[in-house]
Amino acid sequence: MILFDDVSYSYSPGRYALEHINLNIGEAELAAILGENGAGKTTLVKHINGLLKPQSGKVTVSGIDTKDSTVATLARKVGLVFQNPDHQLFAETVEKELAFALVNFGLPPDEVSRRVDWAMKEFELTQYRERPPFMLSGGERKRLALASVLCYDPQILILDEPTTGQDSRQKTRLAALLKRINGEGKTVLVVTHDMEFVADFIPKVVLLSKGRVLAEGPAEEILTNRELLMSASLLPPQLAELSWDLALQRPTIDLEQVVLVASKLVGGPQR
Amino acid sequence: MKVLYGFEYRRGTSVIHRIDPRSKMIYVILFTALTVYFVNPLVLLLVLSSSFPIVLISKITSRWAQSIKGSLFFIAFIFIFNFIGIVLATGSVYDAVISGISMSIRFIALISIFSVFFLTTSPEDLTQSMVQMRIPYDYALTFNMAMRFVPTLSREAQIIMDAQKSRGLEMEKGNLIQRIKNYIPVLIPLIISSFRRAELVADAMESRAFGASKKRTSLYVLAMGKRDALFILISVISFLLLLSLKLVFGIP
Repeated sequence: MILFDDVSYSYSPGRYALEHINLNIGEAELAAILGENGAGKTTLVKHINGLLKPQSGKVTVSGIDTKDSTVATLARKVGLVFQNPDHQLFAETVEKELAFALVNFGLPPDEVSRRVDWAMKEFELTQYRERPPFMLSGGERKRLALASVLCYDPQILILDEPTTGQDSRQKTRLAALLKRINGEGKTVLVVTHDMEFVADFIPKVVLLSKGRVLAEGPAEEILTNRELLMSASLLPPQLAELSWDLALQRPTIDLEQVVLVASKLVGGPQR
Repeated sequence: MKVLYGFEYRRGTSVIHRIDPRSKMIYVILFTALTVYFVNPLVLLLVLSSSFPIVLISKITSRWAQSIKGSLFFIAFIFIFNFIGIVLATGSVYDAVISGISMSIRFIALISIFSVFFLTTSPEDLTQSMVQMRIPYDYALTFNMAMRFVPTLSREAQIIMDAQKSRGLEMEKGNLIQRIKNYIPVLIPLIISSFRRAELVADAMESRAFGASKKRTSLYVLAMGKRDALFILISVISFLLLLSLKLVFGIP
């Protein structure tokens, strides 16, 4: 679905933001892109919708070489939600904000209003329909930015730091939504620092460090690898730390398993 | 937007960097006046070339070149509009071409002169020199901050453009009016986030007791030295030489 073939990119000569990236993200995958500040996460995802074109190597998105396509064409397939909602909200009302992308892609009016209604309901924004986006709180603006991309139902969805400023309830809602979208056969990529969110909800991890892919695989495997996380300056999830402290044979990020072992250790009730 | 990088100060150690901002201001004022005064493209070329030695001595060639390169886009506009205007007014294509060329060189000269000034003058020194010229500190600081945020703004504009393109905005689509309208989704977030940032900066400054003492004193005081005298002398002499081209030789 998304194929990076030996991709390199640098903003200033001599310093690579991405260096010989080889990556294959399949159809209907749900994956997190993790890495320290400046690891190249945002640069990587900007290659997927063609905002950046590889300086060497090749990026292919569902069979299309991004060099042969425009952002406007790729955007229909690849929805990219930026980190800071204030960088994209501009319309007079929440409703118009949501319709912006739909109108750009030339959807018929009844379809536009149907999808706008869906997005407002899904993201609990219905009561703000006529409100200017700037009057919303930080968390609500974040949700609106997400909704404004999700409403056009892209085949590939990429979210840059979607959990910042969201409370636990909204995070859980977001996770459920991502799971559902993924279940409908869509590819979902989440760029994040929120290790707990990944540990709890995202099955696959791509670990970036200093412009290179450090590791790629099941979250369970990567998030319990202490050396790997250390070298990418990432804080391990609490369950992984607990499994190391309890000296589990197979460290895990699965709550049930940790509880099982812990209760055995303290001789508590068997579950 | 690249043109703005050519105005972003980077620390340097050359003689030009150490010259008092007030001396450099004299150069900027004198030569800006010349760009407006002359219409002959060859003289304007001379005015432009006045900044070349400064660029070389201060070793800012690559950044300066960036600002010049970035301004080429505007030059195309200036040339075309000027050309059309003159052709319609006088009907002479020759005049229109010459005037278009002078206008373009004038623009490059202005960009070059100001770029040289801002590339070699630290914002702190600039504020300090304004204060020493009896400009109230608040105004000097406001000016300084306005300059300081120009590159930040240009970076932000780029991010916003990327974000809107990702939502299917095509900047280059449609006729002229449509194209101008295409900028609305970029300009509004840019303006609003600038206001938000201004408020944040104000709060941050007040939290750090900005304006607590009525009488400010400075740790460093700028003083003019021999090299300033020399720089001003060279500027004034070359200014007078150029001026004499018109006053003595009658070149327009």
